[in-house]
Amino acid sequence: MADKPIQGEKRVFMTGNEVVAWAALAAEADIMYGYPITPQNEVMHYWTRLAPKYGKRFLQTEDEISAGFTTCGGVLAGKRAFTATAGPGNTLMQESMSMAEMMRIPTVLVVQQRGGPSTATVIYSQQEVTMTCYGGNGEGLRIVYSTGSHQELYDYTIKAFNTAWKYRFPTFVLGDGYQAKMRESLYLYDPALKGIKMETTTPYLGLEGMPGVDRDPSHLRNTYNTEEELYEVVSDLVAAYEKIAPEVVEYQTFNTDDAEVIIIAHGVVTRAAQAAVKTLRSQGLKVGHFRPVTLRPFAAQQLRDIVKKAKKLVVVESAQGQLMKLVKDAIYGETVPIEGYLKPGQGITGEEIVEYIKKGM
Amino acid sequence: MEKIADRIVEAYIGEYASGKSEVSLNRALSLLESGRSPVTLVDFDLVEPFYTLRPIKKELEKKGLQVIAWETKKTMGLGEAGTLLKPEMRWALRRAGDVIFDVGYGIGGAVKLRLVEDGLDGGEMKIFVVTNIARPITGSVEDIVEYVGTLGPVDGLINNSHLGDDTDVEIIQEGARVVAEAAKRMGLPVIRTTVDIRLSDKIGRTDTMGNPVSYLKRHMNRSFW
Amino acid sequence: MTKVPNMPKSWRVETKPHKFCPGCGHGLVLKALGEAIDELGIQDRVVFGCDIGCSLLSWDFFNVDSVQTHHGRTTPVVTGVKRARPELICIAYMGDGGGYAIGSQHLVNAAARNEKVTAILVNNCNYGMTGGQMAPTTLPQMKTETTPYGRDPEQTGYPTQGPEMVAAITREGSYVARGTVANVRQLKGFIKKALQNQIEGNGFSFVEALSGCPTNWSTNAKDTWAFIEETMPKYFKVGEIKAPAKKEE
Repeated sequence: MADKPIQGEKRVFMTGNEVVAWAALAAEADIMYGYPITPQNEVMHYWTRLAPKYGKRFLQTEDEISAGFTTCGGVLAGKRAFTATAGPGNTLMQESMSMAEMMRIPTVLVVQQRGGPSTATVIYSQQEVTMTCYGGNGEGLRIVYSTGSHQELYDYTIKAFNTAWKYRFPTFVLGDGYQAKMRESLYLYDPALKGIKMETTTPYLGLEGMPGVDRDPSHLRNTYNTEEELYEVVSDLVAAYEKIAPEVVEYQTFNTDDAEVIIIAHGVVTRAAQAAVKTLRSQGLKVGHFRPVTLRPFAAQQLRDIVKKAKKLVVVESAQGQLMKLVKDAIYGETVPIEGYLKPGQGITGEEIVEYIKKGM
Repeated sequence: MEKIADRIVEAYIGEYASGKSEVSLNRALSLLESGRSPVTLVDFDLVEPFYTLRPIKKELEKKGLQVIAWETKKTMGLGEAGTLLKPEMRWALRRAGDVIFDVGYGIGGAVKLRLVEDGLDGGEMKIFVVTNIARPITGSVEDIVEYVGTLGPVDGLINNSHLGDDTDVEIIQEGARVVAEAAKRMGLPVIRTTVDIRLSDKIGRTDTMGNPVSYLKRHMNRSFW
Repeated sequence: MTKVPNMPKSWRVETKPHKFCPGCGHGLVLKALGEAIDELGIQDRVVFGCDIGCSLLSWDFFNVDSVQTHHGRTTPVVTGVKRARPELICIAYMGDGGGYAIGSQHLVNAAARNEKVTAILVNNCNYGMTGGQMAPTTLPQMKTETTPYGRDPEQTGYPTQGPEMVAAITREGSYVARGTVANVRQLKGFIKKALQNQIEGNGFSFVEALSGCPTNWSTNAKDTWAFIEETMPKYFKVGEIKAPAKKEE
């Protein structure tokens, strides 16, 4: 049995789902709980093939409700546990993720977005943004990374474990069906090589010592009796979240300093947006691109500063305005006009963004 | 049943994303271009049905290739449900001419071909394992030998080592060496090395181990999957 | 000074008196469980999960690490803990809704997979905490908030036979029993065997406990006990249903 799954750094050619499995191994994840749903099945296919070689565990549950709750259980036991899902499965996981929000359980959930609503398509969309960021009956106290390449899927899956365990909020890696299935090269690496130290995990249940004698027992709950009690609890959660948000927030900008039109896009669509900016700039047009990397927390202040000089914002997404809502919420009060290039469930190319922008300029 | 003399029946199997579809597709087209007819390509992907050849099926048929695969229109509403095996796939070997199978990945390996009438025991079919050493599961000689051992009966290996758009000559030649060594240990031939045609000026007609090199025109980049 | 009554060692004195209604059966089931934990000496290894409903009032009941989960989700949370750390003794404590309605999917599959956890289900024929609605185990003709004219089996089926269902699904290695708060000594014996089954790593263990809910039954003490001792056993057979074959010494 090999000791470390990835030693040094290695250039490979893979699909996104496989990248997630390898990243979880590299991050020293202990156990995966999961349920089959397209397009994320290969995360499990590869984890189950590789896990036994490295002493890692797996449980296929009876549904995504259980996958989410068993993941909570594994994390409560002090292990690096994760799960993956898509579409209707993501819908089912909202219950367990809201328990994780309330109880500050550091779960890691990888979502490979597919068409919605309902069963829709198994292929691709960016229609799970609202749900992943604000799903369940909570206040969206979650951390959501939106990746745009296999290298990022690798980097951010590893990071997700550290973010979750350091800040103790449920953490999500938001990919999509295209990223899940398409093939490209990337570098797998041992995180230690890059100076990345995995956050230690501590159990919430099953701690050392005799409860009531050596230590107090761990008594965890998520229900409260009065409005006042709940207000205090939620206020504390929100305060904790707002405190760490500046440390967690991530975004990228491309040629936004003097841009008249700013394209806002996330996930795999950033590729098309970046390509469009290159083309339009080469044609002398002042176009830039703002890319949120964390959708939650959103880089609101930073976006606000950037759009102050712009003449127009164009939100480009494979959904009917889910990213646009986040943008509008972030920059409320700014008067810059906002347009949407919205194509729910469809891939978006750089060429069509160029065409759309040029028509409007 | 009488065998159609001299016809070519090949099945391309291999690890997920090893390049089976591109390799088998190019093989079918090159048979057609060399004057053989008819040539049929069968999309035998039962794990990910519909998504391998479906976007380019019409285009291939225009070139004169017979293609057995699901069409986009006919898959509407099937999503994740519906049978995966098209009846034409089961009876593919009853057609005249050459038949090339692109066999999707999955636990079954070569044994999946039992679903094809006269597939495994018809005596005509040659089964080739498409191998890319840039994929960790088949990254070393030992890994390849272990992996091929799980597939059932096979007739040869194909070196399709590459890194997609980032491919360089080194990975191809390293692949040739590794695949050749693995093949030697299993007593199997290396059939050929397949290379993206854009690198044709960097690698000649044979690779560093003396295997014949075939060039691949990439058709699959329009299918995201 | 008030004399502290005799309590199992694994009970947490600071959270007593407990929050259950007077006459509630939970107190007796948890006493049986507490004594079983004491006698087996596993207090520092136990992880106790409770469901939504009256069972949630047990979240701070014991001096053991405990987690109150969502309705019906105690079985999977506890399964998740066990799968991650098999050395812990994992108990899923729930009511008839958490096990036979919203949680039945999870109970059935944990049983089918022979998960090495112990589920203890308190059956009082109604959904107590939410005000007394019909439960899967409500008896025919029994009046509840959602069967105000009496439960009609033609419309809503007959009381769920949970342990029998679990016993039918599980294989060798499982332990299944139904006890009653009318015989706490026997119930404790069943719970102890169920936990021992997990300690030995044999398989899934499940104990249903017939219990009383005078608050929602609107019964006085005499009628409450009559219901538990005489009426309920007509529908729910008390006894051991399945146990692993004794190993040869």
